Amino acid sequence: MTSQQALLVLLPFIAAFGLTRRRRLTAVIGMGMFSLTLSAVYLLLHAPDVAITEVAIGAALVTFIYVLAIRKTGRLVIVGDEAPGLLEREGDRITGLEQEILAGFARHLGLDLVVHFLPREEVEEALLRGEADIAAGGIVHVDAEDRLLKTQGHLPTGLFQLTGEDAAEPKQAQETEWIYFSDVLEAVRAQEKGVYTLDLARFIAVSRLGLSGYAVERLSSSFSYIFLLPPDREELHQRLSAHLDHLRQSGELGEMIRRYFS
Amino acid sequence: MRWPSRGMIITASALAICFCALLIMMFDYHGAREEAGAAYIERGTIDTGAANLVAAIYLNYRLFDTLFEILVFSVAVLGVRFYLAQQRGSEKEIARIPESQVIRISADLLFPPILLLGIYLVLFGHLSPGGGFSGGTVAGTGLLLCAVALGADVVARRFHEAALERFEWGVLLAILLLALFPVVLRRLPLTDLLSPGRVGNMVSGGSILIYNVLIGVKVFIGTWVIIHYFVRHRGEI
Repeated sequence: MTSQQALLVLLPFIAAFGLTRRRRLTAVIGMGMFSLTLSAVYLLLHAPDVAITEVAIGAALVTFIYVLAIRKTGRLVIVGDEAPGLLEREGDRITGLEQEILAGFARHLGLDLVVHFLPREEVEEALLRGEADIAAGGIVHVDAEDRLLKTQGHLPTGLFQLTGEDAAEPKQAQETEWIYFSDVLEAVRAQEKGVYTLDLARFIAVSRLGLSGYAVERLSSSFSYIFLLPPDREELHQRLSAHLDHLRQSGELGEMIRRYFS
Repeated sequence: MRWPSRGMIITASALAICFCALLIMMFDYHGAREEAGAAYIERGTIDTGAANLVAAIYLNYRLFDTLFEILVFSVAVLGVRFYLAQQRGSEKEIARIPESQVIRISADLLFPPILLLGIYLVLFGHLSPGGGFSGGTVAGTGLLLCAVALGADVVARRFHEAALERFEWGVLLAILLLALFPVVLRRLPLTDLLSPGRVGNMVSGGSILIYNVLIGVKVFIGTWVIIHYFVRHRGEI
């Protein structure tokens, strides 16, 4: 078997590889590989002119243009603040229940998951500006804006209000700077005064620091964590809701919750 | 779940086509060799002065076919420009994704050699494999690499778009006029006006070198225009 025949036999397999990939970037790379192999065949058939053109256009230019297109459309962009157990940085990786749900959802759509961390107050603006597809990270349905699409709650939670002991006049939320959850952690560690409203996941993380200096009040109502989507993303909302329903019914959601919170 | 079945159909048909092609290629085609082909091989280099027989055929004997290939490319660029101009460029600032150092540094390192390779392919197209089409695309790809690393706006600012587009059409006009020249002068057979020169010299092959340079410039500008229009009207790349 000559090398030319070997490459020719290889071609259909590379083509099949490229066609069957669900992740777009892998499919595009498969296509580039196909072009490169094909140009090697041309070279072996004594057609170097055609081989050069095939490499320049098929393997380089077309692959490039597809990669650029995918950069805009092949991503599922998540924004949110860090929430322990839900959406959490662990070194270079991001872990947590919501990360796992959304990573599965992105895989289902054939997209790459990208997470941008933003302070809680900026998250909704980012969605409305069209910079992100889904907001996550311990969002509780009461404080979510009405303009945005909401999913059904995937995990019940509670809200807790911490009040610094000597805080004679509680700081208004509007006065405080936009802060990340890590800033809240720092503030509590330093026993700073102030009023903080925290959901259950964050409250547990904060309570490990010792809350002797704070008065804790549980807001009496039932809350649950949700995802938020921009108002014009009806289809994505339906698919995410369907995905969540599927997870709920198959019991996978319950298992994930047990894994992260037990 | 509609996708797996469709994917299976595509994959199956692609496999079938590939295996058919494989079967066809395993036969030897004796019948395909015709008189014209033999004549090209025998006299191509003497007639045109180009050491690269492929260039001799598509830029001399079959220049008429190549003119339409150039027109196809021009129409493709025109189509991209026409349909994307109807789409409003997005007003809102899309947050730029910070690029990794790896891409920036490799773009800095790779851009000069890629550009040089493109110019080499254009200028030596009549002597060795290459030519205007492949050389222009190689240089355009180098520019695309820069656009990925630096951002398309930065690269676009260094080019004067309107002048570039006019220049592109000027190049097309020059190619057509150059091709029309022997026809107007009624020289029979319709061969090159310039002398073939000594085979293997840098300046040889008659007008082939000029055609290659013109086509290379045209393809380079066309590649950039396509990329830039996509960026401007579909958002940051």
